[in-house]
Amino acid sequence: MPEYESVIGLETHIQLNTRSKIFCGCKADSWEDDPNVNICPICAGLPGVLPTLNKSVVEKAVLLALAVQADNILPISYLARKNYFYPDLPKGYQISQYAEPLARGGRLIIPSADGEDRVVNIEKLHIEEDAGKTVHQNGKRLIDFNRCGVPLVEMVTAPDIRSADDAAAYLIQLRRLLRWLGISEADMERGQLRCDANVSIRILGEDSLNTKTEIKNINSIENVRAAIKTEVKRQIQTVEAGQTIEAWTLGWDEDTETLRKMRSKETEADYRYFREPDLLPIRIDEEWLLEIKSSLPELPLARQKRFTLDYGLPDYDAAILTEERSLSSYFEATVKLSAGDPKTISNWVMNDVLRLIKEKKISAGGLRLIPKYLAEIIEIVESGMITRGTGKELLVNVEDKGKTPLELVELEGLAQVSDEETLKSMAMTIVDQNPKQVATYKAGKATILGWFVGQLMRATKGRADAKIVQSIFQELLDNDGDLGS
Amino acid sequence: MTDEITKEIFDYLVDLGALEIGEQEGEYLRSELNGQLRAIHELEGIAIDDDIRTTSHGIPYSRVIRAPLREDRIEPCKESDEILAQAADVFERYIVVPDIPSEELE
Amino acid sequence: MSEELCDLSATEISRRVKNGEVTAEEVLDSTLQRIRLVEGRRPSTNPYSPEGDDRNKVHAYISLTEKRARLQARAIDDAVKAGEDPGPLAGVTLAVKDIFCVHGTPTTAGSKILENFISPYSATSVQRLESAGAITVGKVNLDEFTFGSSNESSAFLPPVGNPWDPSRVPGGSSGGSAAAVAAGEAVLSLGTDTAGSIRQPAAFCGVVGIKPTYGRVSRYGLIAFASSIDCPGPIARNVTDAAIALQIMAGSDPFDATAAALSVPDYFSTIEKGIKGMRIGISPDYHKLKFPDPKTGEMCEQSVDEEIAEALSRVLDHLTNAGAEIVENVAMPNTRYGVPAYFVISRVEAASNLHRYDGVKYGYRFDGEVSNLRELYRKTRAHGFGSQAKLRILMGMYVSAEQYEKGYYQRALKIRTLIRNDFVNAFNPEGPYQLDCLLSATTPTTAFKIGAIYGNSVSMQYADLLTVPANHAGIPGLSVPAGVDNAGLPIGIQFLGPDFSEANLLRIGRSYEKASADEPWRRLQPKVLHA
Repeated sequence: MPEYESVIGLETHIQLNTRSKIFCGCKADSWEDDPNVNICPICAGLPGVLPTLNKSVVEKAVLLALAVQADNILPISYLARKNYFYPDLPKGYQISQYAEPLARGGRLIIPSADGEDRVVNIEKLHIEEDAGKTVHQNGKRLIDFNRCGVPLVEMVTAPDIRSADDAAAYLIQLRRLLRWLGISEADMERGQLRCDANVSIRILGEDSLNTKTEIKNINSIENVRAAIKTEVKRQIQTVEAGQTIEAWTLGWDEDTETLRKMRSKETEADYRYFREPDLLPIRIDEEWLLEIKSSLPELPLARQKRFTLDYGLPDYDAAILTEERSLSSYFEATVKLSAGDPKTISNWVMNDVLRLIKEKKISAGGLRLIPKYLAEIIEIVESGMITRGTGKELLVNVEDKGKTPLELVELEGLAQVSDEETLKSMAMTIVDQNPKQVATYKAGKATILGWFVGQLMRATKGRADAKIVQSIFQELLDNDGDLGS
Repeated sequence: MTDEITKEIFDYLVDLGALEIGEQEGEYLRSELNGQLRAIHELEGIAIDDDIRTTSHGIPYSRVIRAPLREDRIEPCKESDEILAQAADVFERYIVVPDIPSEELE
Repeated sequence: MSEELCDLSATEISRRVKNGEVTAEEVLDSTLQRIRLVEGRRPSTNPYSPEGDDRNKVHAYISLTEKRARLQARAIDDAVKAGEDPGPLAGVTLAVKDIFCVHGTPTTAGSKILENFISPYSATSVQRLESAGAITVGKVNLDEFTFGSSNESSAFLPPVGNPWDPSRVPGGSSGGSAAAVAAGEAVLSLGTDTAGSIRQPAAFCGVVGIKPTYGRVSRYGLIAFASSIDCPGPIARNVTDAAIALQIMAGSDPFDATAAALSVPDYFSTIEKGIKGMRIGISPDYHKLKFPDPKTGEMCEQSVDEEIAEALSRVLDHLTNAGAEIVENVAMPNTRYGVPAYFVISRVEAASNLHRYDGVKYGYRFDGEVSNLRELYRKTRAHGFGSQAKLRILMGMYVSAEQYEKGYYQRALKIRTLIRNDFVNAFNPEGPYQLDCLLSATTPTTAFKIGAIYGNSVSMQYADLLTVPANHAGIPGLSVPAGVDNAGLPIGIQFLGPDFSEANLLRIGRSYEKASADEPWRRLQPKVLHA
């Protein structure tokens, strides 16, 4: 059997997080609403209504085009009608873009597990309106128009992806980018990021494109991986059995983890695209483009790379810290406020701050433990004023109580007991009061030293340096309780 | 003159338009369409220079008359119930439709 | 018949209502009285064959909104009593073409498929006219979805009769509008013009109609036929009334992205200023007409009716006397392509615009057994649409479906540009003609008999051949009455001007109106008022 490679292209639909819909003033987000409440004559397709384009939709889509380094953001692009009958499409046509999309060309880089970055080329990016939802309930087919007119960006890749894992990695990377740019919540479970996969196979080393199948509406990254794997396997088996691949449209059933053949694909000609006469062309002049460009943040991969260079962070740290834009800014702000070592700060952020964020379900930007406070905590730990353990507790306390670290150290007496004389006298008291344990030590069981240390740590509520305490006890016990002079 | 829109093409158009047309009405409509098409063919003889543009509208939408794009503001509609009241079949605020055909499943 | 309140001009009515001479309710009652007198039986979607005096009546209204109108009238009268400004159209009765949505009223588009649709919103034009004090009396008949030039394709029959001879058509598609205004069943009407649908019925019914520049008036709430050319506009009994209505309707609208963001000039500051020195052109291409022979389909050539040509030359005399300069032989070589290009562009857009009528969300839904959704669509649309709608859907499909389209649509769009270029050249201030406007007959013939052309969709479309070029070009056109023929049927002429030149067209129209005020035909009244 020859070795095959899979050839995968992804078509993603991204719900933009605008306040209002793309062509009317209805609220775009209906996640928790009753059916058919966020509708108006316009998005419900009543006779006589007209669309008016939401400016923010264009801006967010252009921002994405800039972020994927689009080769060509068209100064004039057109909305077009895609005509077909479906009950969730109230006008009987979807306002989309066709021959002149918002942007053409571009690329998304996927850092790959094998360390070698992959480039996935973007063919085009356009804006369009979402359709409504169809629900099956008690044998009825029910239609909800709330989602009609929610803005979407459709982004289509070239057939550049070579494995199910890379397809998943592409989506993870895209999701990271969308959240980073703040243009979509990109939650696949909520349909804010949807994916269709075009899959074909070929013998490794060939570069022809064979008949592809399209897997529609896969609703999680794991399902994308599983569906593609399953389909690639099926195609190989089909070809090996001497049969030909047909251009089917498939659906992924996540319960049974199987693919199902859906209704035969309509040809594009039937959509009878033509320019939408109810809307003017979208004009993106130089001035507007510059304005949008100025709001383009440093992108995640660039920031990740810079963190390794500027701060000497391991790639692993840099990747985690730049997983999310707010966290990366938090880290960098802390570094700038602190005299400390970036790697030390990274450890604090990756462990303690990240745990806090997950527990509280907020973003780094929403913490009461602002970068300044974290920098302070790290500093007083490093200087020995408080122990590491106290520092970890203090961090949680600052978040919970909303007070500054120094206030809390003062208020709760958390400063480390570092006066050696105090510690010595406390240690002598412990030795005096515990002759049995002293005898055990003398009998050669040196490990009981740890018990003595523990007693003192308890007495100071952990505010002593364990190493110093240990050496004090060792000296005391070895010298028969006489610390000499 | 042979009919440009044959019976087969006509049936395809009827399907594309989600219509259903009886024999007699079909023959009438088809002959009208072919008549219209003869008029349309008059356009084919016209020489069109390459610099003739296609426009979405007759009038040019110069910068001065173009309306600005809509700002992203929510304007709730109070008439959603009235809209829903127009539908022939509604169940718990959903619009009800019959089943969708021709999903061949394997 | 003596002049009633309902026969007064809009300016006169609002003046009297404002100063308390008459009440808005009295104007409404007078209008309703006239409706009872001339209307005949109410059109319906029931199977129709003419009976009784059907062919002597107007049948303009599909629905009357009397209750709503009375509330509006009382609100105006209350405002007057309270010393408030009731608006420039105070108490002026309005017939709205049933292609406009009016909140809370049946809005049918003359189609069975919208027979039971009650609109939950109002069109911008309607809302603006009502805010200015106009009282909507009802919704008037039209060709189904405006698809026609005679009003005969409406699902609501009896068809509208022309008030000057009810056995003849009122023109279309705004036939109900023109007929209602002509017969005093409303002072103003709101119509639409996609290929001549305001101007042609205005000409047939002896009233004034203006098709504004595309984008001058918002299309929001106008049920779409061909979105890139549809234009709302007023129909009135004189030019000044048309100007008042347009003044109120025009202007940008946040609900229509194609409404021009251009301020509306004050039409009244110029309307009486005369036309001294204006250059008015006439073109042989608007006189010798090319169209397919109704029987053979072969292209043939014919001039506009002789009586219409004579009327036009009398108009030229008046204009010359008023100080205008007449420019002859203006070349408009692409005029003849207006109808064929329209056959393509309007059908592609219409087919798409009709997609939404599927029985799911509103309007008619097939009530027999269906086994699946697709069948519901087919049966609903098959029973809901009339033959003109079906023809537009099928032609739209043909010229845009990939396997057949052969570039029809793209070619037609380029021809639209050629047609526009004719006008641009004619109006170019540095060009060979430097026209302020082009003058032509509005229609090649006067009103034809009901049933004479209907059924021949090609000949019917060619009834628009003088009007449709302005729609392609997007420019404004004003049709005014210019006499009657030997059969006593009104003749209309149209002034076509550059983009957004409505103020000038109204000024020219008003000037002609004054110059011809003493012509005997001005004192004639529609036959239906003497029945």
